[in-house]
Amino acid sequence: MSTDESSESDEPRHPYETDESFHPMGKEWEDEMRAELEETEYDADLGMQMARDAQRLVAGEISEEEFYAEYHDDVEDEFEADERPIFDDLDGVDLDEVGDDQSMLESLQDVDLSGDDVSRRSMMKKMGAAGLFLGYSAYATHENEQDDEIPEQVSGVRPQGEDEREHRWGMVIDLDRCDGCLSCVAGCINENGTSTGANWMYVFAYEDDQSGQRNFLVRPCQHCSNAPCAKVCPVRARHTREKDGLVLTNYETCIGCRYCQVACPYGVNYFQWGEPDVEMGRLEFLDETPAEVQEMDAGDGFEARAGTYAEEGSDRHEALSEANDHVYDARGWWADSRPPTGVMGKCTMCPSRQDGHTDNPKGTVACMNACDETGMSAIHFGDMDAEIGDDYDRGVRYLERRKNLNPSPTEKNEADPEEDGFGWEEEGSTPQPRDDIYTQEDWENPPAPHDTSQLSTFKLLEDLGTEPNITYIGNEPGPDDEQVDPSTVDDIPGYEDIQRDIQWPVTVKDNRKHHLDYGAGGPPEDTESEEA
Amino acid sequence: MSAIDAEPDDILTPIKNTSWRWFIAFGVAAAIALVWLAAWGYQLQEGLVVTNLADWGSGGGVTWGLYIGAFIWWVGIAHGGIILSAAVRLFGMTRYQPVARVAELLTIGALSMAGIYIVVHTGRPDRLVTSVIESYPWTVQSSPLVWDVTVITLYFVMTATYLALTLRYDIVRLRHKMPKYFAPLYAALTVGYTKKEDQIIERMVWWLALGIIVLAPLLLHGGVIPWLFALLPSMPGWQGAVQGPSFLTIALMSAIAGVIIISYSLRWAYDWEHVLTDNMFRGLTAWLGLFSLLFTWLQLQQIITGVFAAPKDLSKFSFAKITTPEYIAAMTFIAIVLAYVFAQAVDKRVFSLNRSLAASFLVLMGTLTEKVLFVFEGLEYPTFSLYHAVPGHYFPSTVELLSVAGTASLCTIFFLVIVKVVPVVELHAVESHDDHDDHEGEEVRA
Ligand code: SF4
Ligand code: SF4
Ligand code: SF4
Repeated sequence: MSTDESSESDEPRHPYETDESFHPMGKEWEDEMRAELEETEYDADLGMQMARDAQRLVAGEISEEEFYAEYHDDVEDEFEADERPIFDDLDGVDLDEVGDDQSMLESLQDVDLSGDDVSRRSMMKKMGAAGLFLGYSAYATHENEQDDEIPEQVSGVRPQGEDEREHRWGMVIDLDRCDGCLSCVAGCINENGTSTGANWMYVFAYEDDQSGQRNFLVRPCQHCSNAPCAKVCPVRARHTREKDGLVLTNYETCIGCRYCQVACPYGVNYFQWGEPDVEMGRLEFLDETPAEVQEMDAGDGFEARAGTYAEEGSDRHEALSEANDHVYDARGWWADSRPPTGVMGKCTMCPSRQDGHTDNPKGTVACMNACDETGMSAIHFGDMDAEIGDDYDRGVRYLERRKNLNPSPTEKNEADPEEDGFGWEEEGSTPQPRDDIYTQEDWENPPAPHDTSQLSTFKLLEDLGTEPNITYIGNEPGPDDEQVDPSTVDDIPGYEDIQRDIQWPVTVKDNRKHHLDYGAGGPPEDTESEEA
Repeated sequence: MSAIDAEPDDILTPIKNTSWRWFIAFGVAAAIALVWLAAWGYQLQEGLVVTNLADWGSGGGVTWGLYIGAFIWWVGIAHGGIILSAAVRLFGMTRYQPVARVAELLTIGALSMAGIYIVVHTGRPDRLVTSVIESYPWTVQSSPLVWDVTVITLYFVMTATYLALTLRYDIVRLRHKMPKYFAPLYAALTVGYTKKEDQIIERMVWWLALGIIVLAPLLLHGGVIPWLFALLPSMPGWQGAVQGPSFLTIALMSAIAGVIIISYSLRWAYDWEHVLTDNMFRGLTAWLGLFSLLFTWLQLQQIITGVFAAPKDLSKFSFAKITTPEYIAAMTFIAIVLAYVFAQAVDKRVFSLNRSLAASFLVLMGTLTEKVLFVFEGLEYPTFSLYHAVPGHYFPSTVELLSVAGTASLCTIFFLVIVKVVPVVELHAVESHDDHDDHEGEEVRA
């Protein structure tokens, strides 16, 4: 696509173009640039044209490929073969590392001009200085804004757009099926080795203020797509993984300021106040430092270059898989399992599983497995972007199915369950029940059928704009509802009752404050041994 | 120019004379500071488990408490201090010129204490520098905590510049009377001084003052610091546009109280009745009263809107707030101060230095309590209050409480040292502006 074509088209033009000047800094700046270019022996028009198109690249009017295709030859012609074609070199420059103008400059500095001892200044001139510069500073800003290519160690706060991301992990939790057995809580502790009272998965009974009816709420981290915790983190340790929306903490860079915990509306964060109960040595992990893991070759697909994937078969993936690693994610970031002292932890949605390097399959989480084992199957983890029939559609599929088991009164009269098969129709194909998740019998005798009206679903505090990725089936807790005092009920299992299922030296506790309280009695361990 | 009949030599008294009282004060302050440093060392060793903080939510506690409360309290003192001194310079409030430098020094001291609190508060202070710098270009776009750090650093630099510029003038003129052993320091401070710069510096200082006054409500305690809390959607106790003005008044109250306490001590220690006059203390007391009144008014605004027909989460918070004994105590302190300030305005005989001093201590205790309560009560009453463990409970542990004494001692030590090194009352305050040039000539000749 060239500029001419686009200016003829009816598409609304970018404000920079409709303006006299295309550059945000205005006409004067632009003129100055041109003057500078004119002084060089190179084509000023080309430089200005490139700059203009770089702006359009920023505005998303043309794609990166188009930009390259348009200028590669021109640039080669203009800057002669013996000067090494700039763009070939730029291809080699790792654009991932280009986050701001500064690093772009540094990358450009790295471009070796075939042994010629040229100063940076003259090199810049040779590149059509101002024009390219102007364009690239804009390009760099573009990178930054899009948050889709991020320098290592600094990730974004939002998942990528729906088309670019791989998944959007989330859960559908059927509260109508939960009986408060706390198996998922135990499953999570066993998977992650969290310390006493750090119940990343927390399940509790609450009473409906109006009816007095008792319900359960199953509360992992909501892995918000617009997560306040990630926004406020002063070191971007808490971040959102662009490729799949997981909200994780980089245990290597977190400074333990606890602002994420303050900003999270759901109270799902658990700080590591003292020594972790489970020593690092007891966790399963690849015995290399994060830096070393990050160094390992991760395959050469685009994804690998963006630094967020480790391709199957690549060194890094192999090494992680061999170790059945459960503390690194595919980027080699230490972001899974319990945090070290002084660092924030919370439900991670098991990223080492989602990156496919543990013995447990991608698309599963430990709490769900534990729940399934009890036969309750209240937790349905999956890709919330998936269409029914795609891989990892467990969550959306379950939701759809439940919706169809709960037809509205009118739909109910019209629908013929026998004919409709599994309760939904898909164009051109009949969806098949998936043996890996549901048995045939399950499908024919669906669990917990509702004979009431429409299915009630909700997301917690959706009004706050956090875009949580947990969808609940059941009735939303009202503003006056209260958790039932755990110490007063004995008809449901308490946190102590799942102690026998725990493989670590961790005491299962509900109220962590009681455990942590640091009174005259000395360090918490003492209190603990008294009680145990 | 104030009608004080002090001589330039007077401002050198603290540098020239060191009494046993100084040594006792230093010893006590150092002892307290050491005890706290030991406690902090213990915290570094054991982790933050030695505080009484815990996770909010099912954890039943609050994750920010005294450390953050004290942090914003110190920042408030610092910001109030610099606003005070800027106002003196900008509006030519010559009556307060003798304490302008005290206010600036207080800013430096208090900002340092706030900085210490950041380190004390974090779980991994070892990573502070690397982690923050590495991610700065990204976090500065989204994290209010990073805005804070940025602005605090900016103001630290501005204040230090300010102080250094005004110190040059004094040191050049008084150097021959100041101790020889600090000569290298004085030489460094006055490097490249020429008499021509006086006017330029005066203008620079004026512009700096203007910048500080203009930016204060936007960026300092009226903006960035309250945004740390007010921008979060899920803590009703922290929300609302009132936080900015409320923080700003608290900052000014605390700073004036701090300045009164320090000036009182200086006057007592160095017989400075003629430098730090009754008249000046009267004025400071009146300002203290004014800002206390504004503070009370803003508290009332919050309480009324919080209890009348507020949304559930906000009204829960507000009822809890007004029934907290510590809050009632803090408001009582401020009420007593208000009563005193009004009374002394009506009847001049009610005024006494000791009473103003007591009022200042009450204000500082009141604002510190309010700040700490603000932080942890806000966290105790979140919008999502379904958990049985919410509201949690919190009372600072010994290690936490020691930090207040420790930082106050460190700040005291800072002042004890600084009075021995540079004049804490500026030369301008004891020489007349009108005969500025003659006087200056005299000084240099002398
Ligand atoms: S639930 Fe809380 S911790 Fe989890 S992503 Fe949302 S804001 Fe962050
Ligand atoms: S505790 Fe760690 S993850 Fe949370 S905001 Fe602070 S630095 Fe970020
Ligand atoms: S998804 Fe993983 S980390 Fe989260 S609660 Fe379940 S098991 Fe725990």
